[in-house]
This record gives sequence, structure tokens and C-alpha cells, in this order.
Amino acid sequence: MLQCGRFFWRPARLGLNSFLRSVHSAAAADSGLSPVLLTRARLLAAEHAKLSEKLAEAFDAKVAKRAGEIAPVTAVLKDWDGANESIVELKSLLEQPDTDEELRSLAIEDLDASREALPTISDRLKKALIPRHPFADLPCLVEIRPGAGGDEAGLFAFEMLRMYMSFCSRRGLRPTVLKQDVEDGASEDRLTEAVIEIEADGAYDILRTESGVHRVQRVPATETKGRTHTSAVSVMVLPSFPESGSGSDNALNFDDPNSDYYIDPQEVRVEKMRASGAGGQHVNKTESAIRLTHIPTGTVVSMQDERSQHSNRRRAWQVLRAKIAEARQEAREQELVQLRRGAMGGVARMGRGDKIRTYNYGQSRCTDHRSGITIHNLDGVLDGGDGLETVMESVRTWMADREVEAMVAEETLKEEKKKMKK
Amino acid sequence: MPRIPTSLLLKAYRENSLLPILLKECRSLDSARNELRWLRERAVRDVQEHSRQATRTRQGWRTRLRAMCHKRSRGVPLQYILGDQPFGDLEILCRRGVLIPRSDTESYTYEAARLVRQMAVETCKDSPSPSGSKRPLRILDLCTGTGCIALLLHALLAPQFERIQIMGVDLSPIALNLAQRNLEHNIGLDVLDRRAREEIQFHRGDVLRRNGIANPSTGTSAGGDAIPTVEELLSQHTTQSERDSKSSDGSPLPKIDLLISNPPYISHSDFHNGTTSRSVRLFEPRLALVPRTDTNIDSNAISQEGDKPEDIFYRRILELSQDVQASLTILECGDKMQAERVVEMFRGNSPALGDGGETDGVFTAEVWPATEEDCLANGFHVRDGSRCVIIRKGGC
Repeated sequence: MLQCGRFFWRPARLGLNSFLRSVHSAAAADSGLSPVLLTRARLLAAEHAKLSEKLAEAFDAKVAKRAGEIAPVTAVLKDWDGANESIVELKSLLEQPDTDEELRSLAIEDLDASREALPTISDRLKKALIPRHPFADLPCLVEIRPGAGGDEAGLFAFEMLRMYMSFCSRRGLRPTVLKQDVEDGASEDRLTEAVIEIEADGAYDILRTESGVHRVQRVPATETKGRTHTSAVSVMVLPSFPESGSGSDNALNFDDPNSDYYIDPQEVRVEKMRASGAGGQHVNKTESAIRLTHIPTGTVVSMQDERSQHSNRRRAWQVLRAKIAEARQEAREQELVQLRRGAMGGVARMGRGDKIRTYNYGQSRCTDHRSGITIHNLDGVLDGGDGLETVMESVRTWMADREVEAMVAEETLKEEKKKMKK
Repeated sequence: MPRIPTSLLLKAYRENSLLPILLKECRSLDSARNELRWLRERAVRDVQEHSRQATRTRQGWRTRLRAMCHKRSRGVPLQYILGDQPFGDLEILCRRGVLIPRSDTESYTYEAARLVRQMAVETCKDSPSPSGSKRPLRILDLCTGTGCIALLLHALLAPQFERIQIMGVDLSPIALNLAQRNLEHNIGLDVLDRRAREEIQFHRGDVLRRNGIANPSTGTSAGGDAIPTVEELLSQHTTQSERDSKSSDGSPLPKIDLLISNPPYISHSDFHNGTTSRSVRLFEPRLALVPRTDTNIDSNAISQEGDKPEDIFYRRILELSQDVQASLTILECGDKMQAERVVEMFRGNSPALGDGGETDGVFTAEVWPATEEDCLANGFHVRDGSRCVIIRKGGC
């Protein structure tokens, strides 16, 4: 550490740029905070200072919004700097030969305390640096579909539907079933597709961890020889957009042709499904199904649950919009991954096609393959209770870590590019 | 009706013992499943409401549901069992004796609202002074039944037009009673603006009876208590000041912006030969489906040579449409052929009017939906099914 301190001071004569960089490397040794992240934080802090100045002169909603967004970064960065400064000061105190013993022991104590605090501060800084997901504030739709595994998958899909319904109820979010299609068969609990809507703002951020393929391993009720089967259920968490774009400055306004999530009505084929033959007064059909097809992507949504064709149509549009927005977001993320791959050499990323979690009845455990957490209280998970909450929380942390990694990779790439130019 | 295969019945039974009962009327498993869900929802809700009111009904929802399913299997329309039918954003109450609103009619009403808006924009462009604010938008709905068209048009147009005047006319007192209840019901549900109470009126009237023509043939209907004609209703119930401005041509009738109607249009043979489904034939009012031909008082006076008896309402309504100078007339017809006959009827009529009446602009008639795209988007079969005739000033 002594050396470190010296190293810290030596390049002070060189230009500011190299000075900063050495600070980073010194800090990195201490807390594991990547230098690129620190650069990014400093840039944001500088931006915040500038914006605050602007705001002091005249108020502007946009500027205020941006300033509010990056304010936490600035605050945490200040803490971080404070902690580092005190470490440096204490070290220099220790270095001086004329410090008396009592002061020395106090300084050592303080130094330890500051060193301990540093990792938590850097963690906070990392979290503050992660950009918010564009859909984070939105309510969401959860689509559940059985995958491989036949009847058993349908049965488990129904159980998952119940799990999420009770999870939402426990969290005080109100879930509504938009669509619940059951398979033809003896029992009503074999899903072919279900969509639930959770209308609370920010529900997307809460349930975002659930997108992917969930695997179940158990002896199904339909099995006669007692063999364990493995089947899969796919869950998709989609953003639910507010009815008719409310805010005009909102990037999520789907009515605005410039928005990323705009769907041209011309590209959607609307079909009211109706039996052929005479219509009008001659017959009195109660069918009210609607099918929407987004022609460029081939996305199909059909709705028949309501008696009113109009509410079926509204719901179908809601789901279609959500699906397309999610697909576009996915595509954008994929692009970023391609970009980062060069820098990081293979990025761990779980798409919707990847197996993310296993529910094993035999061992009564639930394992999430992303965070690696295993919970040995399967019932607690399937009830949508604390077990599920713990798993989701661990995934959230995992996701944040991935985000940070990705961010580091991106910044490194940027810097490399800069160097190349030079 | 083809027999339902046993395998399908078995499959339905395995799923739910009530499904085979519903299958008798629904014919497909999908629609039986949907109807069962809707019936179950209603049965559960009804029982809950009853228990809250602590009435003597001790019936559980299962018993209730079973009774409902049996009713349905006898062919009673779902809407009569549930008591309502969604129509656009509205909830239209239904009862025996009044025709149930069809989704075709819903599509025509939406199209009508779209055309009215378009017309308003065009006239605003033509004349710098906003004529719309001076005079209310006037709509006449003949053979209104449940009042669904009148109510939905108000719900759709109220945001754009400050003043609207809608008159719904029907012959049946039961229908008028229901239409009035529907008005209140939808205001209560908050899907209809409060002003609708003043702006929509339902009146009893005989669309087929002509004004001024005494009916010597049937002395019974002549006299003080005769059902008024549409002309009489119009001159009685439209505000005086509005009429003065447009009385230059000497016509006593106010100008109507939109004349819309879903009159009875099923022919006598179609009613009996299986084109009309059993449930409709047995449970919906014949008055609203088949034009009266046998007892009709002056059908000879209205229809011209070559007219089919089921088209009699169109002849009369086209005549009315000219009298009230309707800028837009929308008539529901049973099929493409009938719609084309109505268009022919209109073309045969208009030159006769050319020399007498004053028309500023040429009227065109078209059948809607005509393109395959329109059919699909609005749920119409490409060849079969109902169509409507749109007659409007200018047009394309």
C-alpha cells in the first residue's frame, strides 16, 4: 500500500489526463472498481454540474429530468472520492516518521474502517451507473406458454400461472387474466396460452427477471410407471403501453411515427373471425374473436375471451404492441452484444430462448441457472412467496452485474477506438 | 343442420358435462366453450348479488348455470339469457320482442360515424363560417329497435359535435320502452354523455305509412289515435328556429344530415327455407325481420312494379331520404343482391326528383363493404352476408 501511495503521487506532474488514469488504477486495486466506470462516473458528474448551473439560471423540464437521472451518480461519486481522500490522508500520516504512536493507532483504525466502506460505496456507484431499462416504469404483460413436454407442460404452465398470480397478489399488484386458453381435454388446468396483465407502474422491472424457459422435473400426474419427466414452459414478460400515448415528449408514445415502438396500422392485418354464410338479421352469432397479424414480423395475436369484439380488439392490440416492442428492444440489445463481443470475448447473456430456471420436485429444490442460487423449499417458490422473491432478487443482482460488465466492455471499446484514432 | 359427430360430443362431455348441451346450439366447441364461460360468469355474479341482497333465492350458481345452458340449447339467444349485448363500447339491454343488435350493424354504425366526421371536415373547408355550430347535427334512425345505432352514434360523435339531435323511430312500443331504458342504462354506465338524455329522442312512428294519404282502404287506422308518420314526427319534434332557415324551398321538413336504418329485410321464403337460423326464427320478433306484406295497408301505394316484397322498406326510406334532403343515407341490406337492388331503386328514383326538387350536388350510391380487404377487416364474408348501401352527396 505504501508503494501504491507513492505511485499515486508521482505522476501528478504529468498532465491531468494521465493523472486521472493513475488515480483509477490505484483505486481499482483497492475496490475492484474498473477505471472505465470511474471515467464514466466523472463524465456524468461533470455533466450534472453543468446542468445544475443551467437550472440555476432558468428552469427547463428536460434538463431537470436529465439532472435528476444522473444526480445519484454524482452523490455516490462524492462519497467515493471522500472515502478515497481520507484513505490517502491517513496513509500519508502513517508514512510520516514523526507521527506519535497514539495517532498512528487511531489512523490505522480509521484506515481499516474506510477500506471496509469502500466496496459498498463502489457497489452503489456501479448500481447508480446502470442505465434504467427503457420499459422499467411500465406495467407489464406476462405470457405463459407450455413448451416441450406435452400435457405435463400444459399442467405446469397452469401452476406457473397460479404462482405469478399469487406472487402479484402478495406484492399488492393486481393481476388480471387477459387470456386463458386451455387445451381440449379432461381437465381445465392444461394451458395452451395465458396472458396476465399487471397494471402497476414498474411491474415490468419487478418481473423482468422471469423471461425465459422454465424447466420442471417431476413425476407427472399422467405418468403410470413413476418415471421423472422433464418439460419446459416459456414465460415472456412484455411491456404494457398506456392506452393511447399520453405524454407527447414520451419516447414510448406508440402513436408517434418517430417512436421506436410505433406500429404502422397499415402493416397490421385485422381479421374478425366469423363463420361463413348468411349474416345480418338472418343469424345471431355470438363469436367475437379478433386476430391481428403484424405482416413484417409475422407476429399473430388472437383474442376471443370477451363478448365484445371491441374489447377483444383493444386487448389484442395491447398484446401485439407489447410483443413488437419487446422484440425491437431485444434486437437492440442483441446489437449491443455483438458490439461488445469484440471487447469482452463472449458475453454471458440469457435470451428468452435460454433455460433459466429448474423446478425439481424430487429434490424439492428450485435452481436459477443465471445467479446459480438454489432454494430447497420448492413449495415456497411455487406459492409465489418469499422463496420466489429470493430467487428473483438474486437474479436482479446477477443482471446488474452483467450490466456493469457490459458497461465496462463498452467503455473499454470506446477508449480503444479513441486510441486508434490518435 | 348437419348432425354433430358423436366424437365431438364425447370430447365436449369429457371437458365439461354442460358443453354438449351448449353444443346443440353453438355447433362448434370453441364457441360453446366461450358461451359456457360467459354464462358461468353471469351465473356466479347473479348469485353473489342475490346473496348480498339477502333475497330468498337459495339457488347455487351451478343450478342456475345448468338452467341457463338448457335454455340456450333450446335455441334461446344468449343475449336474451344474459340480458345484454355489447355494441361498440356500449352495453345494450336485450329482451324478448326486440331484435338483438348484430355485429354487422355495429360495423355499419362505425362506418357511418366515420363518414359523418369526414363530411363535417369537408363542409368546414368549403364554407369559412362554421355551419356546424349554428345547426345541430341531425340524425334520423328508422326502425331503431333497442336504440343501439342511435346510442352508439351519439357516443361516437359527441366529442366532435357540440350539438346533436338524434331521433329514433320504431313501431313497436316494447322496443321504444327498451330503447329508453338503454339510454338511461348507458348514461349510468358512463359510456354515454349526459347530454344524450336531451339529444336523443325515441318516438313511435310507422315508417311505411305515408303522410297526407288518407287510408280509405283501412278505416280502422284513420282517426286521432293513428300511429304518426315519420313526416309528422319530424315536423312536430324538430326545433322551430332551425327549420326557418332552410324553408326556402317550401319543404316543411327539416334537413337531416344522416338517415340510417336497419329495417326488416328478410324475404318470406328466406325466413322459412333455412337461411334464417332456428334461434332467430323462433325467438326474435318477426316484426323486426320480415316486412309486413299480408296485412300491409298501402304496400301497393309504396312499392312500384318489379319491387320485391322484402324491399318495401327501402322504397319508402329512399323517398323519405329525398324529402329530408339527407346528405348521407345508410341502409343495411340482407345480402349483396338486395343491396344492388336498392342501388338500382335509388338510381331509378333520382332523375325523377331532378326536375322537381332542388338538389345541390350529385348523389352517389355504393355498396359497402365492396373490397375483400374491407370485408376481412370488418368481419364480413367475401361473398355472403349482409351489406349496406351508402348514399351520399358528392362522393367518389
